[in-house]
Amino acid sequence: MTRMKPMARASLSRTRALIDALRTRLGAADPMPPRPAVPVIPAPPAHVFPTPARRGRYAADAARHTTALVGIGHVGTRYATDVVLQFKAELAVAHEAVAAELPAGWFEQQGYLGLHSQARDHREFLLRPDLGRRLDEDSLQRLRARGGAAPDVQIILADGLSAVACQGSGVALCTQLADACRARGWSVGAPVGARFARVWLEDEIGEVVGAKVAVIVLGERPGLGTGDGLSAYLVHAPRIGNVDGQRNMMSNIHARGTPPAQAARRLAALIGAMLAQGTSGVGLDLAGIAELDGLETGYRAPQVRERLVEVG
Amino acid sequence: MILEPILPKILAVRRLPRADAAVLAAYGADPARHVSLGLITCDQDDSTYVALDEATKHAAVDVVYARSFYAGAGHASGRLSGEILGVLAAADPDELDAGLVALRRCLEHDACFYDADGKGTVTVFPHVIASLGRYLAAQSGLAVGDPMAYLVAPPLEQGIALDAALKSANVRAVKVFPPPTETNFAAAWLTGTLDACEAAAVAFAEAVVAVAAAPHQR
Repeated sequence: MTRMKPMARASLSRTRALIDALRTRLGAADPMPPRPAVPVIPAPPAHVFPTPARRGRYAADAARHTTALVGIGHVGTRYATDVVLQFKAELAVAHEAVAAELPAGWFEQQGYLGLHSQARDHREFLLRPDLGRRLDEDSLQRLRARGGAAPDVQIILADGLSAVACQGSGVALCTQLADACRARGWSVGAPVGARFARVWLEDEIGEVVGAKVAVIVLGERPGLGTGDGLSAYLVHAPRIGNVDGQRNMMSNIHARGTPPAQAARRLAALIGAMLAQGTSGVGLDLAGIAELDGLETGYRAPQVRERLVEVG
Repeated sequence: MILEPILPKILAVRRLPRADAAVLAAYGADPARHVSLGLITCDQDDSTYVALDEATKHAAVDVVYARSFYAGAGHASGRLSGEILGVLAAADPDELDAGLVALRRCLEHDACFYDADGKGTVTVFPHVIASLGRYLAAQSGLAVGDPMAYLVAPPLEQGIALDAALKSANVRAVKVFPPPTETNFAAAWLTGTLDACEAAAVAFAEAVVAVAAAPHQR
């Protein structure tokens, strides 16, 4: 059986040509006829999740002892609005603290010798940690010109990753720490401030001044809602090339963590152990420090999360 | 889209090159003249009537049997039944083959129903036969070679459309098949000049479309 090709179809059938013409005349040959109107789609039923009227006792108890995000409840499968807003506000605080810079001449106004790392600006400081660990030539000359007093303790205040924290309680902590050291009979070097500084800068500064113990107090990397936290890093026999295993540190020095007054006492106790044992870091024996220095331990007062956002 | 062709589906085509005399007689063939039978079933009866007639124009075959089935292809007795059985008879199997070729070509490329409402729920068969073959000429009483309009539609639509067709051109009704027929459609055969037949067929199709679009005239 032979089969005709489809292309020959129109010429084969007079009737089909006639009806096709009729269809064109009736306006029904449009290959894209107007689409039928889409019916109104009703909105899905709104599901209003009730705010939980109570929360578990365990969660409430746990939340009282930490500012961590525990016991925050949920609405349906999501966080409650106030929790989300609080989270965003705290994140904004952290971003702002990272982006903040110390005003020019701030250290000099506080009576500190103002030094400068090799980082030329804030952006380079954030992107090049290695430049933040060495003094630039001018700062090195000025530090040497002041003369090495070879103190027992050299305290350095620095901006670190949070100039906000440095400006906030940095001077208070350094002053209290210096007083605590002098009260124990140690000599304390003249206060030094360092801009765009990383922790390891304490090695170079301490080496130049010939200190036995160098302490650098700097703003720590902000977490949620803690843009004002300070950290203190201590090293015995500061030398360029010291590693982190040779350091001791204390973090979360702020009102909701370890308050500066308490931190100063603990840091002084640490320095005392370093001077007595002649070492720091992993090799330092911390056993008995609390008993020797009468430091409070154990109980920690309940913490209250600072409310940045109020809802409802 | 309205007036899209609804192509007929040939459900079965089988040949009996040398049929038994009793079988020949059963289908109305003449055992003295006929030797071979060709049997075809299709799901569109009117397209097949036209196609059977077309076969007689191309080969020495006779349409000895052609009957529609009751209530149409939607209620067929089997998968291969459709709504019509047509039987061609020939003295020579080769002639039968030639006739079947013409029949197939007509069903595939020419005669077909059309969708009158865009949904396939109203259909129309406004076919123009430019030149009658021996089968439909004998059925209609016209001469072989006369033009004829073969118009089929559902009962009510056919009545309205037939009136429109007769008034649209200089044609006359040769035969009218009022409902109910076997398939419950209604049909009419009109004749006149070829141009008149074509004009009548177009008017018929247009009227069926109009009725399908507005069944409740006020």
